[in-house]
Amino acid sequence: MNEADYKELKKGGMMRQKEAGLFSVRLHVIGGQMTTAQLRAIQEAADRFGRGSVHLTARQGVEIPFVRTDSLAALKESLLPSGVGVGVCGPTVRTVTACQGAFVCPSGVIDSPALADAVDREFYGKPVPHKFKVGISGCANNCMKAEENDIGIKGVAEPRWSRDGCTFCGVCEAVCPTKVVRVSEGGGRVSVDTEGCIGCGDCIESCPTGAMAEGSRGYQLFAGGKFGRIPFLGKKILQVLRTGEEAIAAIEAAVEFFRAHGKPRERFGDTLQRTGFPALEAHIHERMGRKA
Amino acid sequence: MIPILDITGDVCPMTFVKVKMGLTKIASSGKLKVLLKEEALKNVISSLKGEGHKVTRVERQDAAFLLEVEKNGASA
Repeated sequence: MNEADYKELKKGGMMRQKEAGLFSVRLHVIGGQMTTAQLRAIQEAADRFGRGSVHLTARQGVEIPFVRTDSLAALKESLLPSGVGVGVCGPTVRTVTACQGAFVCPSGVIDSPALADAVDREFYGKPVPHKFKVGISGCANNCMKAEENDIGIKGVAEPRWSRDGCTFCGVCEAVCPTKVVRVSEGGGRVSVDTEGCIGCGDCIESCPTGAMAEGSRGYQLFAGGKFGRIPFLGKKILQVLRTGEEAIAAIEAAVEFFRAHGKPRERFGDTLQRTGFPALEAHIHERMGRKA
Repeated sequence: MIPILDITGDVCPMTFVKVKMGLTKIASSGKLKVLLKEEALKNVISSLKGEGHKVTRVERQDAAFLLEVEKNGASA
């Protein structure tokens, strides 16, 4: 087998091991969700074609190591009925990570698994200048580390204050972790600096009267994050997108921007350092027909 | 005279447990005052709301807050 063959296999999720003739086979996992039937299929495949072990990757993936070259096709075949596909590597859109989201987690604001499915459907395995990772956190607690991904999404709950019932007790101001909620001197008004609001919902949850209520839910978009040798935290590009469809459209615009401006083997964050982050923001606004 | 429960020396989850215990000693619609630190505000108020009680007054006292709670006040 020559280097080109190995490269092709790697793109298809077959990672060459240190020991010649052995591969660690990466599987296609979306947002860390698997059915027990799929897990059983993986178990059987690992027993039959590997050495009875699996590796859980850093980004919610599963790999079956110690698979011989001549077993690769049979392993892939054996997983087909359970719906478990083989993963990807190389310069492609990688595993989409997600938390359990609003239908399971008490803190969840958005349906992260549903968005992960949609992102996976649209972009998984598609070619880009370099590896491209998307991570989705269902709320501001950010368990999925949005800023470590090339594109990160966070669910946010935006507060809306109304004078009715407000006693100007100051609890909202006291609990705000970013200090963007302000009760005016002597009461009378409560303001929220929406640009600095992280959408955690603490002010809403702790308001004794309900005067600080949930205005709307949305998606915050971060771009340019990575880990590896030289880590870099992604920056917030859009404060809020209203729907999952808008989030998908924004990611599509970001991928398009990366394809247009990214150099081969350059991570999205490095591209954005060259072009400036506002260039991406402007491109997304333009593609979505939004005002910047 | 409304009884005062001081939980300024406690951390979560004891803050929650003590307030819950304090409220069991009070008749429905009765009141309890809770003195607590700023760090405990969010969890204590949100759990009180979640259990159907009502925070009827909030007073700032130096580095602490004094809440007046009406037992089952939110379901009334």
